[in-house]
Amino acid sequence: MGKLTNRTRLVLAVSSVMFLAVLAISPFKDFRREWKQYKHSYLRFAQTRPDTKKLVADYRPDIDQIWLPGMNVVDRCTTCHYGITQASLADQSVPQPFRAHPPIPHNVRDWGCTICHRGQGPATEVAEAHKSTLAWEQPILPTRFIQASCGTCHYADLPQTPQLTRGRALLAGLNCQGCHRLPGVERPAMLAPDLTNVGTKVSREWIYKWLKEPRTIVDKDGNVTVNGYEAEDEPRMPKFRLTETELRGLSAYLSVQKAKAFVSYKLDARVVAAWTKNPELASQGELRFRQMFCSTCHSLAVTRAGETKLIGGDIGPELTKVGSKVNPDWLITWLRDPQGYLPHTRMPRYGWSDEDLFKVTRYIATKLTDPDLLTGVPQLGQPREDEIQLGRRLFLEKGCASCHVIEGLNPQKDFGPDLSAIGGKNTSELEFGASKIPHNLVSYIQAKLQDPASVNPAARMPQYNWNQPDLDAITTALLSMKGAPPTSALQNLVVPRKEVDFHPTGAFEEVYERYKCYSCHKFNGYGGDLAPDLTYEGSRAQRQWIVDFLKNPQTLRPTVVLRMPQFNMSGRDAATLADYMTMVLQHPAANPTAVDAKQFTLAMVALGKQLYEVKYQCQSCHTIGGTGGYVGPNLSNAGDWLTPAWIEAWLRNPQALVPDTIEPRRNFTADEVRALTAYLTTLRQSIKPQKTASTTAKHAATQGAGR
Amino acid sequence: MKFHVWFGALLLMTLAGAAACRKNAESAKADPLLSAYDTEADWNDAQHVVPLSFQQAQGKRIFYQQCVWCHADSTPAGPSNRSNLTPVPPLLNDRATLNAESDEYMQNIVALGGTAMGKSAMMPPYGRMLSAEEIRSVVAFTRAIAQPPYQPPARAESQYSAK
Repeated sequence: MGKLTNRTRLVLAVSSVMFLAVLAISPFKDFRREWKQYKHSYLRFAQTRPDTKKLVADYRPDIDQIWLPGMNVVDRCTTCHYGITQASLADQSVPQPFRAHPPIPHNVRDWGCTICHRGQGPATEVAEAHKSTLAWEQPILPTRFIQASCGTCHYADLPQTPQLTRGRALLAGLNCQGCHRLPGVERPAMLAPDLTNVGTKVSREWIYKWLKEPRTIVDKDGNVTVNGYEAEDEPRMPKFRLTETELRGLSAYLSVQKAKAFVSYKLDARVVAAWTKNPELASQGELRFRQMFCSTCHSLAVTRAGETKLIGGDIGPELTKVGSKVNPDWLITWLRDPQGYLPHTRMPRYGWSDEDLFKVTRYIATKLTDPDLLTGVPQLGQPREDEIQLGRRLFLEKGCASCHVIEGLNPQKDFGPDLSAIGGKNTSELEFGASKIPHNLVSYIQAKLQDPASVNPAARMPQYNWNQPDLDAITTALLSMKGAPPTSALQNLVVPRKEVDFHPTGAFEEVYERYKCYSCHKFNGYGGDLAPDLTYEGSRAQRQWIVDFLKNPQTLRPTVVLRMPQFNMSGRDAATLADYMTMVLQHPAANPTAVDAKQFTLAMVALGKQLYEVKYQCQSCHTIGGTGGYVGPNLSNAGDWLTPAWIEAWLRNPQALVPDTIEPRRNFTADEVRALTAYLTTLRQSIKPQKTASTTAKHAATQGAGR
Repeated sequence: MKFHVWFGALLLMTLAGAAACRKNAESAKADPLLSAYDTEADWNDAQHVVPLSFQQAQGKRIFYQQCVWCHADSTPAGPSNRSNLTPVPPLLNDRATLNAESDEYMQNIVALGGTAMGKSAMMPPYGRMLSAEEIRSVVAFTRAIAQPPYQPPARAESQYSAK
């Protein structure tokens, strides 16, 4: 070894110090790790709380992890989100990440975090855990779409997730399944009107106008909003981006669709002659229009106090200007037998007389019109053969055939992309094109829904006008569709959708189909939700009452507007329906022989009356003979309406009969149940068998407000 | 010369190491309404929107099914039943009446009804219909929309807590 110079010594000394400093970087970096900082600040935070001891009782300075091998969950979120199970940290003023998780039906330790919130569970850095990185493409789900995560397992609709339920209803209601494959959304027999004979119904000009701007009504400033008026729902027919040539072609093709020779129904000439000169023709027609409760399913624009609004139901189309749309001869034939034109329509067949038909069609053709409806539409003239051929090709290429049927035309299968796994797509699988939106799944879905051409200029998807809540609801429903059902080694996590169906047969089926009872009423889970569920109607109502009600409907609840149309039902039809209901639509818990009405004594009735009025004060919600509350049904006619067995079973446990009823389950003793049943079966109120002309007029004018 | 090379190399390594120690990621200030499970507009001031947690949102759902008919002035069906009743039931955001009651009292009057708590028999008991969890969520919703906000009574410090 040679002698070291001072200079070399200095170099060695300095480099040793430097080397030690470099060695120290690694432990220092380890000490400064993000999660350790959060752990330290949790300890400091806990010191400021009154229940410090409880908050730090289980504190460990290392990584906290929820490991659920069965579900492939390794979630280290609780390392920093340490307070999520501490009830005392629930307050909004507690800073994140220490705030407690709001109470939910699932235990966090049993399910982990990423199952619902997404993100990267094993990550130990804020950015990696929450944001999308190249190695992990599922970022945290924004909280306002969190209900999507409920939907990945709960295929059945939950009352707790209104946004998800609304989104699923929108997907089904707007016929998204016409073009896209969606899990759990079935294709009904008819999505949109069958256009096989549309040429007999409307003119070529009207078709042109409708295709150009499906919302036919434009407000006075020329602005087109949803249907021109404040309407709650998106119209089912969306706007397609069509050029002038395409509009001409499609309108030409559709206007020649007259597969079945149109046989116009000839009204009795004497009726026409007698009414044509009557000045009250239109007003009488309007009266019949109202009496038939057309507005239960159809809406009309009504101007009140300077504000125009659509009033009425949305089961059928809006009718404000229908007189300028349809051929008057077609209208008469349609009203007389809707199923003759559209076999799958939801429009019932009313028992119209020729007089009614004439009055109502004249009312529609003269009052529900708009002379300006077709302004701006060029004179199209007779369709040319090349236009028809172009229209036929476009009808298939634009996807019209996915919802609308034309006999003899075969639509392309799976016209739009399969959406059954859209909610689990990675960012790298999405085509953003030239758009400037943030590259993540939520932005992609929302941009695509708002303007399909923004992410793909060649998109065939039509244009919708969403409001923000609907846009978020439908995004939530799409995000919930993650493809293959989630599984666990321990249990099947999927809560399946309840399969419902109702296929009556025989004489009942014929009448049920003719009046389309299921458009409004539910039977065994199948049908509409506008009117009461009739699944157990046979247990609830007495046969004679059902017959009387069908012939002459009236409302039972003081606050509910009567919407049941008078079908001019024959006695035979009413008896067929009532017989089937009393025989088949029975609840297993309401045994018809359980209560013998003959055993009721006057003392029991008196006790029941006292219980009703004093002890339980049922009059807070129910009305008897003009006094009482508006919440429950009117009981004035309970003795003729309800079966004693139903009353008795209902008093014991209402939820056992109708699970979602709002009548609270009381703690009645057996004697009290019997006394109340005895009292209620004595309540009777005679109903006039037929309405007189003046009362019907008044009734229709006020839209039916009880008896 | 040699010394400068060594020194420069060490300095670079140190700087590189120090740069690798990142700062804590700043947590973004999220809008409480966007991260809320549901919202409810203040009954007296429609501009003021109250964010609701999952539990409070469940309370809101149950309230609008069961309670709204008598404890609000407008209902989904139109007219309120409130005017039919004597004594008139309190509105849900009635601070004078409801903020004075404890959570336990509120849960009891919902579960056991008016008669059991010495109030009007017109308030029916819901204890056999709603679960304890559901009743808790209704009370939580009540607290969420009370104006001015409900302040839980300060709990006395435990006599065993070390201070």
